[in-house]
Amino acid sequence: MLNTLLPILLFAALGLAVLGAGKRFLMWRRGRPAKVDWLGGLLAMPRRYLVDLHHVVERDKYMSRTHVATAGGFVLAALLAIVVHGFGLHNRILGFALLGACVLMFVGALFVAKRRRNPPARLSKGPWNRLPKSLLMFSVSFFIATLPVAGVLPADFGGWMLAAVLAVGVAWGVSELFFGMTWGGPMKHAFAGALHLAWHRRSERFGGGRSTGLKALDLDDRQAPLGVEKPTDFTWNQLLGFDACVQCGKCEAACPAFAAGQPLNPKKLIQDMVVGLAGGSDAKFAGSPYPGKAIGEHSGGPHLPIVNLGGKALVDAETLWSCTTCRACVEECPMMIEHVDAIVDMRRHLTLEKGATPNKGAEVLDNLIATDNPGGFAPGGRLNWAADLDLPLMSEKKSVDVLFWVGDGAFDMRNQRTLRAFVKVLKAANVDFAVLGLEERDSGDVARRLGDEATFQALAKRNIASMSQYRFNKIVSCDPHSFHVLKNEYGELGGHYQVLHHSTYMDELIGAEKLNLGQHKGGSVTYHDPCYLGRYNGEYEAPRAVLKAIGIEVKEMERSGFRSRCCGGGGGAPITDIPGKQRIPDMRMVDIQQTGAELVAVGCPQCTAMLEGVVEPRPQIKDIAELVADVLLEAPAPAKKPVPAKPEALEVH
Amino acid sequence: MTDLNIITLVSVGAHPTSGRARRAEQDARAVELGLRLAGERLQLLHAGDPREETLRAYLGMGLGEMAVLEQPPGADALPVLADYLRHAGAQLVLTGSQAETGEGSGMLPFLLAEQLGWPLVVGLAEVEKIEKGQAQVLQALPRGQRRRLKVRLPFIASVDNAAPAARQSAFGPARRGQLQASEVAIVDDSLLAEAQLQAARPRPKRLKVIKAKTGAERMKAATAKASGGGGQVLKDVSAQAGAEAIFKLLVEEGVLR
Amino acid sequence: MSDIIRRDPRAEWIARNRLHPLHAAMQKAETSWMGPNGIVRKNPHAVGFIGPNGIKRIDRSGAQQGGSGKRTTASAVVQLPLHVIEQPAFYIAVVPDMIGGRLSAHDKDLLGLANKLAGSDGAVVAVVFGEYKENAFDTAGVDRLLHLDGELFDGYAPEQRILALGAVESQLAPRHWLLPDSRTGGGELGRRLAAKLGERPATRVWQVAEGQCIGRAGAGREDLVRRAPRLILAAVECAEPVSDSRHEVRPLELQGKIARNLPRIEDLGAVAVDPALIPMAEAEFILSGGNGVKDWTLFHRAAVALGATEGASRVAVDDGFMPRNRQVGATGTWVTARVYMAVGISGAIQHLQGIGACDKVVAVNMDPGCDMIKRADLSVIGDSAAILAALIERVAAYRQAGERDAA
Repeated sequence: MLNTLLPILLFAALGLAVLGAGKRFLMWRRGRPAKVDWLGGLLAMPRRYLVDLHHVVERDKYMSRTHVATAGGFVLAALLAIVVHGFGLHNRILGFALLGACVLMFVGALFVAKRRRNPPARLSKGPWNRLPKSLLMFSVSFFIATLPVAGVLPADFGGWMLAAVLAVGVAWGVSELFFGMTWGGPMKHAFAGALHLAWHRRSERFGGGRSTGLKALDLDDRQAPLGVEKPTDFTWNQLLGFDACVQCGKCEAACPAFAAGQPLNPKKLIQDMVVGLAGGSDAKFAGSPYPGKAIGEHSGGPHLPIVNLGGKALVDAETLWSCTTCRACVEECPMMIEHVDAIVDMRRHLTLEKGATPNKGAEVLDNLIATDNPGGFAPGGRLNWAADLDLPLMSEKKSVDVLFWVGDGAFDMRNQRTLRAFVKVLKAANVDFAVLGLEERDSGDVARRLGDEATFQALAKRNIASMSQYRFNKIVSCDPHSFHVLKNEYGELGGHYQVLHHSTYMDELIGAEKLNLGQHKGGSVTYHDPCYLGRYNGEYEAPRAVLKAIGIEVKEMERSGFRSRCCGGGGGAPITDIPGKQRIPDMRMVDIQQTGAELVAVGCPQCTAMLEGVVEPRPQIKDIAELVADVLLEAPAPAKKPVPAKPEALEVH
Repeated sequence: MTDLNIITLVSVGAHPTSGRARRAEQDARAVELGLRLAGERLQLLHAGDPREETLRAYLGMGLGEMAVLEQPPGADALPVLADYLRHAGAQLVLTGSQAETGEGSGMLPFLLAEQLGWPLVVGLAEVEKIEKGQAQVLQALPRGQRRRLKVRLPFIASVDNAAPAARQSAFGPARRGQLQASEVAIVDDSLLAEAQLQAARPRPKRLKVIKAKTGAERMKAATAKASGGGGQVLKDVSAQAGAEAIFKLLVEEGVLR
Repeated sequence: MSDIIRRDPRAEWIARNRLHPLHAAMQKAETSWMGPNGIVRKNPHAVGFIGPNGIKRIDRSGAQQGGSGKRTTASAVVQLPLHVIEQPAFYIAVVPDMIGGRLSAHDKDLLGLANKLAGSDGAVVAVVFGEYKENAFDTAGVDRLLHLDGELFDGYAPEQRILALGAVESQLAPRHWLLPDSRTGGGELGRRLAAKLGERPATRVWQVAEGQCIGRAGAGREDLVRRAPRLILAAVECAEPVSDSRHEVRPLELQGKIARNLPRIEDLGAVAVDPALIPMAEAEFILSGGNGVKDWTLFHRAAVALGATEGASRVAVDDGFMPRNRQVGATGTWVTARVYMAVGISGAIQHLQGIGACDKVVAVNMDPGCDMIKRADLSVIGDSAAILAALIERVAAYRQAGERDAA
């Protein structure tokens, strides 16, 4: 009897799965078009899954092994089951193989079940707690059903009683694992995840690449929506990406805004997008809510606005404005979902269409438009900090080795100390450098993160035009935000440069023995990785190497390197200023204090400002440039005669 | 919100530190006030160049179009505006207090009121209610004070920095909005023929001139400690003595009332 | 002048000598007076006199004799020369703001400018509406005073006032009209007058010399230089106030009745505004609290007692003691208060930037080395709670005394 029942069950489930897949696919395709490599992506998918994704999952060894066993066992078991039970190919060897796969899957499922006994807060409950049972049911049912095939048991063992029980078990298993996969069950992550990897919006990320720059809006296209108002305004592969979420909550655990009690939870945000994609309310969400916001009060649909400024829709605006764009969620996501892109897309709509940038946002954007700096300072004062330094100007030198990108810190009295320190270093190393002076404008970073793509592009285009008049080999900046934007986001607008963070450049100078350095005196030091230097651009080593060169052994924080926690200063978060239970810089200062360090080295004006905003007593905050300038020795570098780097006849623009 | 027919007059402003063209601060506040009263039915009116992109910043506050009476720079806006308003059937005309470019005498609302024969409210902060052809409004006085006035419709009101801050101008609606130009007769402004604009000279801080009438006074003035240069620090004094010193300063500055 | 008390033995002797013809003149009368709390105070030492043998004598008969009062130098009030214009060749009309019934500093500057324009032939007419308390019109430079009183001009009645000024125009035909370009009334009245008279005024004028006047134009980035028109709206410090002459303040009457207009704008009176709600950028006096404030109820009480607008440092806002719109500094609001009182604020750079435009800064802090104290004009080192409490008390006493004075 099982021999007739099992194929029916299997093929019914498979048929329903294919139907669901088609339906789901059409759902994603409601989104706006996106250019993808259809076939190439599919072909690259196994490698992306087995290598790139595995690297992320591997950070949690327990889960990685569990997943290999469960998923590997399941895929094998499912394929064999279709052959053996579906097509009735009762081969003993195949039977034993199927038994083995079932055992493997069973063992994996046991570990899944164990994790679910006392799950950490970041994990979603609800249907996700059902999943290990379904996995166990599937593996056990198929194991028993296959025993006769393998010849371990007689063919008619157990009679119709056992057959009925097994049929129920198999039915449960295949409905969860086959058609549940495409009808919105927990197993959806496998189906959508695989396709998401194939048609990912940043395929450069695979194979060890890095892609962190935001994608430009085409402002010349009057038909294109300015940002995302409703779920269908996302590109279709973004929608697909949201569906890939496994609700593991790694993002939630890494999110600084969530930890500070601001109303943002990246996992919930992605799940809300899934709700929007299919239509409905968030009442079924079984994870942590946005801090301070009850579950079940928000709902939406694919063609309904995501944010309703006057009331409630799918997501509240303050949720979107809580994000510091630190990319900790993206870094942690085992499904490689792009949370920050989605948030900025939705912010773009709020700023460009609704004019609803909260708090000081509107003022900052107005200032950027009218004065090219967020503070509204007279543009003519951009070089006042260096009035006595006699800085070479690009307009006079025309051609140099290094263009020193000063950034808006030029207007901030604290950051001016860092800038002066770095100039001291540059001069000590006899670097052939110049600044743009009054021709420099805000890089557009803040405007872009606040969703004002129009102002970003206006600033960027003017900066690119200024720089195209001159020749230089590389740009060096003390500001990781300018650094990132110049390096990764100007390209789309026609500005391609070699850009270095000042820590990287100082590392090069030290390596070339162009600096005569003493040793750092004073207490212990820890180092805070700026998000836009570390996670955005993968530079973790150079700052540490510089610190090491001046005799500092960094007392690492628990959250450092790619797991560094944001200072709270990115993405315009200090401007939009969404209240939480505590402040992000205060939390970061606790991290710093736990190392017992007396000084924290930073490499970003935002981090400096945010951390120095923490009430004393607290460790001192100093930029790497300041630390290096402090130990500069007067005498010129002994060994090599400093050769002013020849500007090569290379036009960079 | 009322079903009033409201027109806000707008101009091209200049940013105070960079001098770059922008929406004028007070005019934008006047638009904000108009939007709160009339919503999207608010009409905008400008006399000048319809190709001026800065005007779109007002449309970006959520309005579909703006009427522009086309004029070359240096033309007198008053007659054309008065002409337009006479036939526009507005019950309330809102303006800023003074322009950010050109003369900026702040005379426009006064002259319009005189020409149209309408009452004028200066420093409108809030319209509380409108009934039976009369509006009850709050007028802003210095230092955040308010005065309640009742005024007959139609009237002109100028808005200063005490009015509600203007909402953000959004790029999308600004780009979509229409500037409806119309041709008008051009009247030259006679002032610019005889007066000239020059970069503002910083005004010197007034010196304390001591007019000594006796030798002793002159001596005292000459030897007195120059004011400024480090403040007075009271250390190790009782709270009462400290409070007394603060109190004296407050009275001297005239902020206690 | 020196305050050193010099004894005059002869005067003392005369004061003791009842038979001396100058005896009465040398008596010091102050033996009892009304104290600040309304109680009659007596000076027992002032009662009586020192007798010829050096023994104090008290005469209970009522005829007080002898004086122990110390002699102080009589401060010589210098009489300024009187400036008389008998037959003015022309008039310069000034309409001062008269805030609180007194000439403001702005008004005095304006009168100074008027005197400059009047020279030695013209007369300065001050047109004053409603009741006034000013008693120094003479030294401020008013040759003629045209006082327009009556309920017509009470409250906010700009249209009625313009009618009156129109009558002045037709009677005196002043060569110049000068009004303060202020937000306290002058700016509005001047522009209304300009519209009425059909004169194009020069506004925000800060210098008038040789028939040319310079005024700020546009958003203040430019100056407009032009021939001085008849109607000038002048800014603060447009000229030095009159300081070395006295003027007649001869009253002037308006001939004929002023027409009464039907008020189109009705004044319903002032609206009480909570100082706490005044936008900080506008506030004149800000009491700002920071991390060092422990007792926030006391802080709020102090703000009410002082009539100050409340501000806060970033930390106080972050900690939730004050709302975000009260944050002062580069990242909050840039304030322009005349007096900024920082309690328990150590003075981060951003904060000091935000108060750069403040005139006087008062700091109350425990730490004498903090940056705020370096910026402050007056700093008191000590416990902020005790100082605030003492200040509340002191101000309360002052207010009480003020009320009695007014009564």
